[in-house]
Amino acid sequence: MKKIGSAAALRLMSFASNAFAWLFIGAFAILVLVPLVFMAGASLMPPAEIMKMPYDWIPHEWKWSNYYQALAGNDGSWIYLRNIFNSLVVSLSIAFTTVLLSALVGYGLAKFDFKGKNAVFMAIMATMMIPFETVMIPLYMIAVKLGLQDSYAGLILPFLMNAFGVFLMRQYLITFPSEILDAARIDGCSEPRIFREVVFKNSGPAAATLAILAFRQQWDNLLWPLLIAQREEMKTIPAYIVKFAAEKNADEGAMMAVAAIASIPVFALFFTLSKYFLGGSAVYSAGKE
Amino acid sequence: MSDKQTAARSLERGRARWGWIFVAPGLLFFSVFSFYPILNAFYTSFFNKKLLSLKAPKFVGVQNYAKVVASPDFWNSVRATFTFALGAFVPLFLLSLIFAVLISSRRRFKRAAQMALYSPAVLSSAVAALIWLLVFDPRGLANQFVNWIAGTPGIDRKWLADATMVQISTIIVYVWKYVGYFTILFITGIGKIPQSVNEAALIDGAGPLQRFFRITLPLLRPTTVLVSVMILIQCLKTFSTQYLFTQRGAPIGPVNVLTLNIYNTALRDQNLGRASVMSVLLFLFMLFLSWAQLRFSRSEEAEL
Repeated sequence: MKKIGSAAALRLMSFASNAFAWLFIGAFAILVLVPLVFMAGASLMPPAEIMKMPYDWIPHEWKWSNYYQALAGNDGSWIYLRNIFNSLVVSLSIAFTTVLLSALVGYGLAKFDFKGKNAVFMAIMATMMIPFETVMIPLYMIAVKLGLQDSYAGLILPFLMNAFGVFLMRQYLITFPSEILDAARIDGCSEPRIFREVVFKNSGPAAATLAILAFRQQWDNLLWPLLIAQREEMKTIPAYIVKFAAEKNADEGAMMAVAAIASIPVFALFFTLSKYFLGGSAVYSAGKE
Repeated sequence: MSDKQTAARSLERGRARWGWIFVAPGLLFFSVFSFYPILNAFYTSFFNKKLLSLKAPKFVGVQNYAKVVASPDFWNSVRATFTFALGAFVPLFLLSLIFAVLISSRRRFKRAAQMALYSPAVLSSAVAALIWLLVFDPRGLANQFVNWIAGTPGIDRKWLADATMVQISTIIVYVWKYVGYFTILFITGIGKIPQSVNEAALIDGAGPLQRFFRITLPLLRPTTVLVSVMILIQCLKTFSTQYLFTQRGAPIGPVNVLTLNIYNTALRDQNLGRASVMSVLLFLFMLFLSWAQLRFSRSEEAEL
């Protein structure tokens, strides 16, 4: 009898702790999601509704023209379209070069033996310690000297690749079977061709993780474009957002529409490839250990 | 020496050459975009240099350092940076650890919970700051929510106007944006703890709290150290929120973090020497943090 009672008590306790855990997680998840829901809702409201007390979550008057105003801008120049295009060009280029160059260097470090290899590896890893804020002024001076202000090259060059990418690709390629490489060599494959046909084509998961990471980082990058792109048509999305928000007569609804438009590509990536997002951070932590 | 050996030797040398060829783009890139700039930052910090001025920079020795260290503006930035970093660190660390433990021990909907908490991390910082700019408006959601909880209708908490509140506001934005990211790092760490240990403790009748403090927490220490340092380093680099808030008229003094100060000193005041001094000091401090993490995790291995 006593045994059955304690089993029931145990079950009750585990039910209670489960319910409590979900209550806690659920409450915070709602708190975390509220600003996102707010962004989506407010992007369709006139300013008076956004600032209404108490706030109504559903727009009364669906103001689709907010999106028109967000894209056209307060001055009707449609420069946001160009800035979105710039962000896409810059982020996609950097995602591509990061994967390609990191794979090259990572392959060299993973599968070849040469004197000074460890020194090269350590030197590249050491650059992870350098905060961008410390090198941004010298980088800006270089860019000015080379006449790279207001150009795609100027926006892209400093981020062509990064140390973390090299690390990730090296770790991934170290486990790649050397026998396959040797077999290709015996078949008379040249080294560049081995890299292209055998190594690069087989680095899928690591390459995807790295590409998404690099894309997101650049999509978010504000500091460098703020420095290097002075002309409106060379700005990227974050710089446009700052400018739009700083304008005195900015319409709050249009502001949220600007924000929503900027978020669509990354959210589309997030929902279709969530495993790389969640796994990507995991890879990052494994890498740092 | 036999022919076979010579052939093997030359093959090895050929392979070594290919190794260099493959790493060459990396060496070139990091030399130009990392090593040269960091050396240049140190170098510039000893010169009196104006942005875009054609005059030759004048060597001033440690004068820039002396001036920076003597200026209240710099110490205000140090204070702002550390208030922000520690103010964001504590809630970020505790919340992400609690979420990770709770989510890891659930049986269902783990992925949905992770995705919900993670979703703000997907947004760009500028978008995050923009959303919260409206939430913190005097007529915005933040006031309504707090007044609803506290039962004090109509009070304006001055989220973006008051010196203390604007610091709290920037911290809230940051915690909101990154709590999901660090939760996932902790979940990964917890996933590496062998199930058998937990099961053994369960059979021995250990309660959930006991298991957390006696098993999860000690075994999680490598992750804990790593995540702590990552949170701190990331907090020290905060820029977008402070930049956007001050652009929209929030008082700059309370939230003038080092990165913002470096940016303004270089771009607005065009004083590169001074900006370089601050960026060098920021670099040295982050280097110290990374070193501390390495030491911590080393001593960890020694203990085991």
